[in-house]
Amino acid sequence: MEDLKHLALLMIGILVAFTVVMTLVAYTVLAERRVLGFIQGRLGPNRVGPGGFLQPLADLLKFIFKEDIVPDKSTRFIYFLAPIIATVAALMTMVVYPFGPDVNLPVLGTIRLVITRFDVALLYVLGVTSVGVYGIALAGWSSNNKYSLMGGLRSSAQMISYELALGLGLIGVVLQSGTLDLYSIVEQQAGHLGISGWNMIWVQPLGFLIYLIAAIAETNRVPFDLPEAETELVAGFHTEYSAMKFALFFLAEYVNMFTVSMLATTLFLGGWNGPFVHQLPWLGVFYFLGKVILFLFLYIWLRGTLPRFRFDQLMAFGWKYLVPAAIFNIVLTATLQWLGAFDYLAQFLKTQTGFWG
Amino acid sequence: MVAQRNPLYSAISLIGVFISLACLYVTLAAPFIAAVQVIVYAGAIMVLVVFVIMLLNVEIAERPMRLRALVPIAVMLAAVLFAEAVFMIYFVQASPATPTRNISDVGLTRSIGEGLFTTYLLPFEITSILLLMAIVGAMTLARTGGLLSSRAAVVPGDQVFAKEMLNRQKYIDDLTPVTTHSTEEARGLLGVEDQDRSPKA
Repeated sequence: MEDLKHLALLMIGILVAFTVVMTLVAYTVLAERRVLGFIQGRLGPNRVGPGGFLQPLADLLKFIFKEDIVPDKSTRFIYFLAPIIATVAALMTMVVYPFGPDVNLPVLGTIRLVITRFDVALLYVLGVTSVGVYGIALAGWSSNNKYSLMGGLRSSAQMISYELALGLGLIGVVLQSGTLDLYSIVEQQAGHLGISGWNMIWVQPLGFLIYLIAAIAETNRVPFDLPEAETELVAGFHTEYSAMKFALFFLAEYVNMFTVSMLATTLFLGGWNGPFVHQLPWLGVFYFLGKVILFLFLYIWLRGTLPRFRFDQLMAFGWKYLVPAAIFNIVLTATLQWLGAFDYLAQFLKTQTGFWG
Repeated sequence: MVAQRNPLYSAISLIGVFISLACLYVTLAAPFIAAVQVIVYAGAIMVLVVFVIMLLNVEIAERPMRLRALVPIAVMLAAVLFAEAVFMIYFVQASPATPTRNISDVGLTRSIGEGLFTTYLLPFEITSILLLMAIVGAMTLARTGGLLSSRAAVVPGDQVFAKEMLNRQKYIDDLTPVTTHSTEEARGLLGVEDQDRSPKA
């Protein structure tokens, strides 16, 4: 019975998280188009529903009813497999993020707003993300198109290079909090008003910056969108994809943006921590999603602002600046940890929290 | 993975094998190893393998199966393996010993980290040096030879060009001429063999 209840809770949790994230992803697309429109001095989609509010629905219907074209000389099985890998890998990381603190529900009692919690959650995220590379690389290869192949190769090289900087940038946080469990990392960041304990502010500003840059590269977004550079490669790795298969890549990209933002929020911006969360636990969910949306807005902003990197600049930047900076950050964090600076800080923040409850 | 003819299919199957292996590690209460398995093997090494296969554009030729004589032996070995598995399953079920509940934290990050950085520090460091040696070795092997090809024409005191490039005028823009002062110097610069030393008028 207890097992059954646990299972049911798990299912409900996955369903709710999935729905919330998918809805937000759909509206991220809309928001991106509207914000880009604003940046470029035009309107963007505003015809479907009030203010274009139903545009995601219209897009979905259009994707479903478009003709599904398969290139004649493609490697068919892999051609079908690639979008599935991309989407599944993007969605799989969602289960480990803590969306909020423990909350009380009328029937279910106290539940924790995280789908699953385990010892190596952070490594799990990195592992699943690294599998996502295959979706893009295989899509590029199996389409039997030179633009696709170029896009796939660029993306593989880029993602492998920046994964390194990304992982190294996160080690600072791990060193400082002493755990790979995302829930514990969030709990440790509760400080003065739920703000002063954020890793970004005190201990990992450099790590945060490195993570942010590497994460944009990981999601193939501007200014790192070389895999699908429209001006050079038509559409890069998904040139030959149409209808729902293209929609899956599209979805994967936005879900990746979302998960990357969730990880940034969890590790650097204190997750669901914020003012008055202890009194009103449900506030935590809003803080969490609010911070994630902040990151998504940053993504869109960057897309409207920055030009694209050249490939050699991309590689040089990743290997000559980001990786050394990340290693420096590790050494710095380890030294501070050894000197006991973080313990002192935690003690200081704890005394402050007591004052505010 | 073994049965596939297309090398890329084999590679993808191997990724599947690695991920399944990671799942096995999870069931064995070693989540850290599982995560590392996915990150290192499925995420990094296999990407390189797939990369190479894609770049080389390997033919999917229907080769006749070589080593046909080995098929019966392979079947026999597979049968032995299968029998072994059946035996193991039976054996484990028949065993009166209940599985130990407190597998403790053997597979957890903390214990692995402590092990690696205290008791087994020396082997760990030696392994890392071994990997470094492999990287340096690979780079050394890849960088053998001189600056230009062995077909280069060497004229002391003159600019150095490759013969084939001189023959085909269209490539002349790609050349970066180097001025030398003696045959020895030019030869050292080019790393050419004896028969290629004859000066071209």
